[in-house]
Amino acid sequence: MPSIVDAERLSKTFQVKVRDPGLRGALRALLRPRYRDVHAVRDVTFRIDPGEIVAFLGPNGAGKTTTLKMLAGLLYPTSGRVEVAGFVPWTSGPPFKRRIALVLGNRQQLVWDLPPEETFLLNRAIYDIPARDYGERLAELVTLLELGDVLQKPVRQLSLGERMKCELVASLLHRPPLLFLDEPTLGLDVTAQDAIRRFLTEYRERHGATVLLTSHYMQDVTALASRVLMINRGRLLYDGALEALVARIAPTKRIELVLGGSDGNRVTAEALAAFGAVKSFHFPNAVLEVRREDAPATSARLLAALPVADLSIEDPPIEEVIRLAFARGVEEDE
Amino acid sequence: MIRRYAALIRNAWLVDLQYRASIVLWLLWGVAEPAIALGIWWTIAGDGSVAGYARADFARYFFAVMLINQLTIAWDSWYLDRWIREGDLNYRLARPLHPAHEAVAENIAYKARTASVILVVWLLVAVAWPAVRLPLDPGRWAITAVAVLLAAVMRFFISFTTGLLAFWTTRATAIMELHARVSLFLAGRIAPLALLPPAVAGVAGVLWFRSMLAFPVDLLTGTVQGTDAILRGLGGQIVWLGVWILAYRVAWSRGIRKYGAVGG
Repeated sequence: MPSIVDAERLSKTFQVKVRDPGLRGALRALLRPRYRDVHAVRDVTFRIDPGEIVAFLGPNGAGKTTTLKMLAGLLYPTSGRVEVAGFVPWTSGPPFKRRIALVLGNRQQLVWDLPPEETFLLNRAIYDIPARDYGERLAELVTLLELGDVLQKPVRQLSLGERMKCELVASLLHRPPLLFLDEPTLGLDVTAQDAIRRFLTEYRERHGATVLLTSHYMQDVTALASRVLMINRGRLLYDGALEALVARIAPTKRIELVLGGSDGNRVTAEALAAFGAVKSFHFPNAVLEVRREDAPATSARLLAALPVADLSIEDPPIEEVIRLAFARGVEEDE
Repeated sequence: MIRRYAALIRNAWLVDLQYRASIVLWLLWGVAEPAIALGIWWTIAGDGSVAGYARADFARYFFAVMLINQLTIAWDSWYLDRWIREGDLNYRLARPLHPAHEAVAENIAYKARTASVILVVWLLVAVAWPAVRLPLDPGRWAITAVAVLLAAVMRFFISFTTGLLAFWTTRATAIMELHARVSLFLAGRIAPLALLPPAVAGVAGVLWFRSMLAFPVDLLTGTVQGTDAILRGLGGQIVWLGVWILAYRVAWSRGIRKYGAVGG
């Protein structure tokens, strides 16, 4: 199966004006401007197959959005090569743009003063959507996103969550096979975030769309993405499944115990320490951290040696793993 | 493409209807400037004339300015500057429609709305005041329509191209503001070009300023006479239109490569 996104050694360097503070600095910048190169994206190579949901992970300014914008054809790369849906994004015109949707969490295409339906009608004209398809697709999207009665309210009166849902409708009416979502849940409350996630999963299942998203919310990534691309300071640090990243970064597992036994023969912290590092202990709950490969054997020993009512083996929290990964810069071993 | 334009114009009008007060204000602004200029020249002319312009000539001239300025004015540099600096260009670039089409549609919507009101005002005034009546000559009106169209397209490209400077500088609107100040004199908004010092009027004629407004106004009021003068005027318009389209193409293709796609 050919890739839908194929990026090779993609780089983007911005020239940023450097200015010293104060009036003197402003004057100097006016007379003799100085520029500094900012390498937003450096030598990034990856491929994405049709139907995948891939998340870009990285702190602010890591280069996630810049990469996304290059793929969507908004930015010209400084060097490198990209093919998206068989097109070179920044030189391809309408045929390419009909195949993508770009949703920006902090920029909206909805006309602020009009009800969202007016923007939908405008997009119907812009994308040449036949009237019947338009009606069917709108009905489907409105049902999936539970939009109901907000279509007739002016956009300025909608909540942030309702606006994002309407943005998605406006962006998906032409049924693009490829979705670029930049922070689609930015600033939304938990319920709205969850609604957007459920929608994206459902939409992808129904229409087999490929989704590339950036997000700060780990829940977006764990709930949606089968694969993550981790970017920091413009470099691709990791490309693969989230679980594999966890395995590589966090060489430990957590064994969570609920201990049995009565007050007389209570298990002590010292007794637990013989099995692994005690992360927390509040009788009857205890959390031990052990080396990944030792987890099954240690569990067996725990069950044999101690009065255990319940035992589970968990990965460390994903936020913790990501923090560690960025701190270390993920050593690529291949 | 017609359906797209219809949808864009429809939305522009729907937005307008949300801001009825601002429509009235813009209309007043469009009327006030030529009305004030007319008032001044009316007083100066008195019972005589200035450079061949008597009171009635000034009245006709400034009513024509009022209408043709509204038909040819373009605000695109302000929109573009905002789109580029604040990142609103992003989703426009992701759509299968060049952002210039949206700007053109906005222009058509704006011009149809303001110019039609001004036309009605003019007709009402003309009923009561013979001085502002125009000679009813279909041929001249047709040529004027062509000149107005050329001027409108040229002013659109001037404004759009100046707005594109926002790719490089944060002062694009200041440049447009400067252009507007200069055109106040050189395009004939404040006085007929015939009243300017010959050197200044010469500059206005060599550059694009006369083509922007004064030439179509003079065509409509009948000041430009003779096939030669008409063809020279139209020729100047076409040449400058070509220059500005070229400038637009260069600015767009270079600017879009430089675009930083702010936001997000």
